[in-house]
Amino acid sequence: MDFRPDASLEVFRQEVRQFLRDQVPADLKGQQRCTRSPREQIMRWQKLLNERGWGAPYWPKEHGGTGWTVPQILVFDDECSLAGTPTQDGFVHKMLGPVLNAFATPDQKAEHLPAVFNGERLWCQGFSEPGAGSDLASLRTRAERDGDCYVVNGQKIWTSYAHHADWIFLLVRTDPQVKKQAGISFLLVDMRTPGITVRPIRSIDDAHHLNETFFDNVRVPVGNLIGSEGQGWSITKFLLNNEHATTADLPELKRYMRELRLIGTTLQVAGKPLFERPEFALKLARLEAELQAIEMLVQRVARLDEQQNPASHTLGSMLKIRATELQQRMTEAQIEALGDYGAIAYAHPHEADPQQPFPLQALARGISNDMFLRRASTIYGGTSEVQRGIIAKMLFQL
Amino acid sequence: MDFEFTSEQQLLQDSLRRYVDKAYSFEARTALLAADKNGSAENWGIFADNGWLMAALPEAYGGLGGSLVDTVIIAQELGRGLVLEPFLGCGVLAAQTLLGAASEAQKVRLLPQVADGSYRVALAYSEPGSRGMPEPVALQAERTGDGYRLAGRKSLVLGAPGADAFIVSAQIPKTPGVSLFLVEADCAGLECQTLPLHDGSWVQELQFDGVEVAADALLGEAGQGLPGLRQGLANGIVALCAELIGAMEKTLEVTADYLKVRQQFGVPIGSFQTLQHRLADMAAELELARSSLHVALASMANDEEATRYKTVSGSKMLICRAARFVCGQGIQLHGGIGMTEEYLVGHYYKRAVVADVLLGSSDGHEAACAAALQAELRA
Ligand SMILES: Cc1cc2nc3c(=O)[nH]c(=O)nc-3n(C[C@H](O)[C@H](O)[C@H](O)COP(=O)(O)OP(=O)(O)OC[C@H]3O[C@@H](n4cnc5c(N)ncnc54)[C@H](O)[C@@H]3O)c2cc1C
Repeated sequence: MDFRPDASLEVFRQEVRQFLRDQVPADLKGQQRCTRSPREQIMRWQKLLNERGWGAPYWPKEHGGTGWTVPQILVFDDECSLAGTPTQDGFVHKMLGPVLNAFATPDQKAEHLPAVFNGERLWCQGFSEPGAGSDLASLRTRAERDGDCYVVNGQKIWTSYAHHADWIFLLVRTDPQVKKQAGISFLLVDMRTPGITVRPIRSIDDAHHLNETFFDNVRVPVGNLIGSEGQGWSITKFLLNNEHATTADLPELKRYMRELRLIGTTLQVAGKPLFERPEFALKLARLEAELQAIEMLVQRVARLDEQQNPASHTLGSMLKIRATELQQRMTEAQIEALGDYGAIAYAHPHEADPQQPFPLQALARGISNDMFLRRASTIYGGTSEVQRGIIAKMLFQL
Repeated sequence: MDFEFTSEQQLLQDSLRRYVDKAYSFEARTALLAADKNGSAENWGIFADNGWLMAALPEAYGGLGGSLVDTVIIAQELGRGLVLEPFLGCGVLAAQTLLGAASEAQKVRLLPQVADGSYRVALAYSEPGSRGMPEPVALQAERTGDGYRLAGRKSLVLGAPGADAFIVSAQIPKTPGVSLFLVEADCAGLECQTLPLHDGSWVQELQFDGVEVAADALLGEAGQGLPGLRQGLANGIVALCAELIGAMEKTLEVTADYLKVRQQFGVPIGSFQTLQHRLADMAAELELARSSLHVALASMANDEEATRYKTVSGSKMLICRAARFVCGQGIQLHGGIGMTEEYLVGHYYKRAVVADVLLGSSDGHEAACAAALQAELRA
């Protein structure tokens, strides 16, 4: 055990800063706060990263990634967040990418990876269905073999950013006869294929991220099957285990802390800065200690992952539960810190400015949208209740 | 102590529940949100016709002579339906502040019109620097030859859109204490920016740029406005707490129903013990909150001023936190569907979030409680 600072990490930080300062145009920096950037920005940002050789910051070298260590990745995320760059397409970088690297054929990689690197293709995740949420394995969307195609019929729901996506990775049932997990396959589908309909669902953060996605006799070439028929469930488990550290969303947590400090020093209560109020300072102190512990936990989970130690799964579940709860409490604390303005529904950061600016708009906009959306953090990526069940079962054999 | 309703109180609750069931189905509410700000004029007429605006006002001023208990019965039912009409802002906060602060002649002149709904008043007291607390007041009321000139800002004025007048708290230079003024909404120099809240209701932020008012705009005596303002606020906080009790009740009912019908893993999700326990915790939070509301009602009826306001602050903090927990878990137990605009539970959570900010946040009231406690211990 050794907790002395790593000097090479500081060199790396300077390298990232220099790139952000010199090579990223101003209109891709200082972005409005958000959990996901608009499509055009994601694409431009991806292209720029790729030109710098950083097209896949989270992947190992042998798959064309940067091969960065976990501490390096945290530095990179941090610096991007500080500079206010757009977000990347998390679905492909954190979920589908590792699956392609591990399971795709050379032909499939040749078809999809270049478009990932140069930012020409955005992805969405088609797992959940109206009847299959926590019980994902009960999914009913069918894919029936017809010549050299699968014919897909069924419905997905909660498909985030399907309306911005070019392709979808999909769980389908290819064999209704066998045990439910064994009949599932993993398909890649071009969203322009005839028979696909995307319908918006507005969420309580006053935005459109979510969709229902319908498949009506959608013909998908058999070459788009990842792995073999019936392997979909084990691929999914592989994918979901990668998701824990992502759902912790450490860069966002750190941003929330920076913003809380900014609110605390900017706003005045009874003639003094907010941070002088004991009720605010006490809360901030608690949140900061928790955030530091979460940051360390992220690194512990990542280390276990690197070592392919199965203990990473339970620790990852714990991280997911605690980090998502912290997301909720930190954004709630932001609302409270805004005082009267915490109740105001500012226009979503992606929407047009109001004709007459709202009071405190520059500081407060986007905070409540995040806070409401964060109610979903304990629901997606495996609900907190399901995670607790996993911990009890795997750690204590209960 | 008696926890049962009298027959009159029961009638009051029944009439409100009928109104809410009819006028505030989810679809009707959605339509109201799209059509207008803070409900409809037609609905406000129903409030007036049924006497809900006069229930807690003395008979001498055109009221029915009821008490805060009537206000609580009304507010709780309105909370069940997330009713949008400005009962809290106009019917409680402004009316009770007038009752507490205005002179006898002003009460005789103003309250009957407030009670019958023909004159709508909103309370403009909070400022960016006071955050829902009655003090400090930064807005200045400078004496002029024959009146006052007001300059400053008021935030988060509940029920302001459509109000005829505002009760404005102000500081008169060289006069210690808080003074209250009645300012017509259409007077020169007053700029009102209408702002939406998360729950779909609307407030205004008021900017006073040298607004001239006559001497008789002063409510009661100069520098003597604070007790009346605090009285109005305490009534408003209790009403808001009652509203949240209704919101929690409804959230629990809807969630319990959902746990019975939603199937995962081949069984209703209500068969999972972790969800049963969560629902039980939510129910316990609700009942503790309801008891805290009773504590506030008892204190408002029996205690002297300082104790009253400490108790009400404690209830505000406890009940608002309970509501955020219960309504937040309402979403959690629904899963994805709870996150959508088209579904009920998310809207209750939004109201709970807004309610926590209104009239001083939980943290603000916790600090106020702590300060009152420290004063007690010092004495
Ligand atoms: C904002 C958002 C974005 C999303 N994005 C995507 C996406 O891009 N692609 C995609 O495929 N899906 C997505 N999802 C779906 C998400 O994965 C599901 O919502 C999640 O799996 C839960 O399923 P459900 O909503 O059907 O809830 P349910 O599974 O019906 O759960 C309801 C409640 O029951 C509890 N519960 C269920 N089973 C158990 C059990 N065995 N033990 C104890 N408690 C249990 C849950 O914890 C929850 O509290 C998204 C969801 C949200 C909210």
